[in-house]
Amino acid sequence: MSTNTAPAPVEPETPPTNKHAGGTGVLNRKRGTIATVVMAVLAFVWLFPLLWAVYNSFRDYSYTQANGYLSFGGWTLGNYEEAWTRGQFSRTLLNSLYITVPAVLLTLFLSSLVAFVLARFSYRFNLTLLGVFLAANLLPPQALLIPVFRMFRDIPLPSFLSDTGTMLNSFTALVLVNTAFQMGFCAFVLSNYMKTIPHDIYESAELDGASVWRQYWQLTMPLVRPALAALATLQTTWIYNEFFWATVLISRGDKFPVTSALNNLRGQFFADTNLVAAGSVIVALPVIIVFFVLQKQFVSGLTLGSTKG
Amino acid sequence: MSGSRPTPSTTIPASFAATRGWTRRNMLIASGLGLGGAALLGGCGGGDSSGSGASAEPGAVRFGVNEARGSGPAFQRNEAMANAYAAAQGVEVTLNAVDHNTFQESINTYLQGTPDDVFTWFAGYRMSQFAENGLISDVSDLWPVDGMGEAFQQASTAPDGNQYFMPAGYYPWAVFYRKSVFEENGWTAPESADDFDALLQDMDGKGITPFAFAAKDAWAPMGTFDILNMRLNGYDFHMQLTKGEQAWDSPEVRQVFERWAQLLPYHQQNALGRTWQEAATSMANGDCGMYLLGTFVVDGVADVADDLDFFTFPALDDTIGNDALDAPIDGFCVAAGSDNQAAAKAFLQFLGTAEAADAANSEADAPMIAANSNASTEAYGALQKKSAEVVQQASSIAQFLDRDTNADLANTVITAALQDFIRTPDRIDEITTSIQQQAQSILGTS
Repeated sequence: MSTNTAPAPVEPETPPTNKHAGGTGVLNRKRGTIATVVMAVLAFVWLFPLLWAVYNSFRDYSYTQANGYLSFGGWTLGNYEEAWTRGQFSRTLLNSLYITVPAVLLTLFLSSLVAFVLARFSYRFNLTLLGVFLAANLLPPQALLIPVFRMFRDIPLPSFLSDTGTMLNSFTALVLVNTAFQMGFCAFVLSNYMKTIPHDIYESAELDGASVWRQYWQLTMPLVRPALAALATLQTTWIYNEFFWATVLISRGDKFPVTSALNNLRGQFFADTNLVAAGSVIVALPVIIVFFVLQKQFVSGLTLGSTKG
Repeated sequence: MSGSRPTPSTTIPASFAATRGWTRRNMLIASGLGLGGAALLGGCGGGDSSGSGASAEPGAVRFGVNEARGSGPAFQRNEAMANAYAAAQGVEVTLNAVDHNTFQESINTYLQGTPDDVFTWFAGYRMSQFAENGLISDVSDLWPVDGMGEAFQQASTAPDGNQYFMPAGYYPWAVFYRKSVFEENGWTAPESADDFDALLQDMDGKGITPFAFAAKDAWAPMGTFDILNMRLNGYDFHMQLTKGEQAWDSPEVRQVFERWAQLLPYHQQNALGRTWQEAATSMANGDCGMYLLGTFVVDGVADVADDLDFFTFPALDDTIGNDALDAPIDGFCVAAGSDNQAAAKAFLQFLGTAEAADAANSEADAPMIAANSNASTEAYGALQKKSAEVVQQASSIAQFLDRDTNADLANTVITAALQDFIRTPDRIDEITTSIQQQAQSILGTS
């Protein structure tokens, strides 16, 4: 993804330099060619393994085993069919959906509340509060593994939320853990973004009699929509890809998210790499789709935040 | 443990054979974190009390299976056993199927969290460690089991003298070859060390690499170490070494590495970058003459399965002979964390019977042999029949290095040391000294 976003910040600079220096500036034609070549090479280096996996996901294992991976042929769609059934993707993709959607919404809602307070008011402990949220973001999740695991084991849940009666093996646990770990970053980004909103707006709103809640919900939230969209893209990707907590907190085969279910494609001794490649493509697709759908907001959200701040 | 049965992993220990080979880097990292975490939890012993004492009484049970649903014969066999029990007793058996590697990586969190009543596991040190930590239940009241000999009872016994395990099946490690390739070249299975040397020379002379060899799966070279150690120093020394009662820098162990270094030129080069499946393929297509691996090798070369045969590694020292081998045993344990001990034991008892083995064997083929000697052998293929024969003839059976010794030692120290050795076979002294130092700190022996 970084390859896709990397060229974006360059664009705004290009027209001014060319105008001022008439082709002899930082990005004259010669240097521009070099930059293009370098970027093309880097993009290729990044994309090659992915494309190679996609290429081999359409090939039969026995063919590549007999002829080597440098060969050409053995085309089949069978890997995708088998990956879909063996990986139980129809269920595990739903599991991922049950985890990702609530977690992303909850993260954005809670962190926007924090960010609003931090940006709108100037309390004495604002900086400390932001520091606490950021510090939690720096804490490696592994360090909290044992306390979280033991805590969740002892928290009872009603049986419609968890069939084992505890937080372990429940989607609720994963939603909460992911929300907790993503909130620091989101609060930081959103509060910086909200600080760019002129304070006068709030004064006018106050004069018109808008409550604090209304200032948050009807005034601030619409204005930070680009930042929310950018964060939603990022968070969806991160939480969807999350593997660590799912492996630790879930031990029921039918509750694993799709990332963990990829392991289903490998047998006890034997791994059909072409099949795993097909499965990986299937698993990667939703994230890629989300990214392309929200790409515009994603890029504009990032650059808006950085230049205005 | 993935140990003897791991999937292709790179430098990650067999037991930790995590999701390797995904093309996406973040998943690779995430999986690495996952195992570190699971290992951490191993240190915080469970507060569960062992549920021994309850007598077996059939009832609804939850059954943890270390194979994903639909992943093939291994899952089908477990499912068939569960169905047979459910039908016979009229109780419900709820399957929780988790893929092999994930199951193993998270076994500590699994047992300390909300385990199923009965779950699939392995004999040997792996089982003993859980018994000592009070994570699995004493099932000695189910022993002796009709149809299982002394060797199986021994393999199910923890150091405290009680049984904690019910064997289901096993498979031997041996030297595999293609019958047609051997016939074509007039080769026969070597009977003695001299035969063996002559065979290596002849293969080499004909431009065929004698041994296929892969070390990208870090557990794979352990098979070679095990067999050389058992041939050169004997079974008793091997077991003492795995328990920390012998030193890894002793002259005996060095001798094993020295002999291995002499044999390395007869092995495929660049083994560190090759998975066992690729090595098996080189044997299947005739580039290599032989391959020392477990019987699961047939999974990797299904096309030539009918042409495969094997022999046990020949004696290298006549005073020691060749009647010891690796034959890892798979089976079942009762989780101490289960609040359903009586029903769990009743199910465990069933899983050890010939009836259960027959249900599994009639459902799906596998390169496994039933542990219960009363089980029917009708469904066995030629390789399975020969495996059973070979294991019955063996006087001593080891479980495989990463099942016989401490998991941390095997998976973090020895795997790396063996790969180091394969890369630089002339550094035997440093490598053995390093293993010994780390073994001392891990096992706490002197």
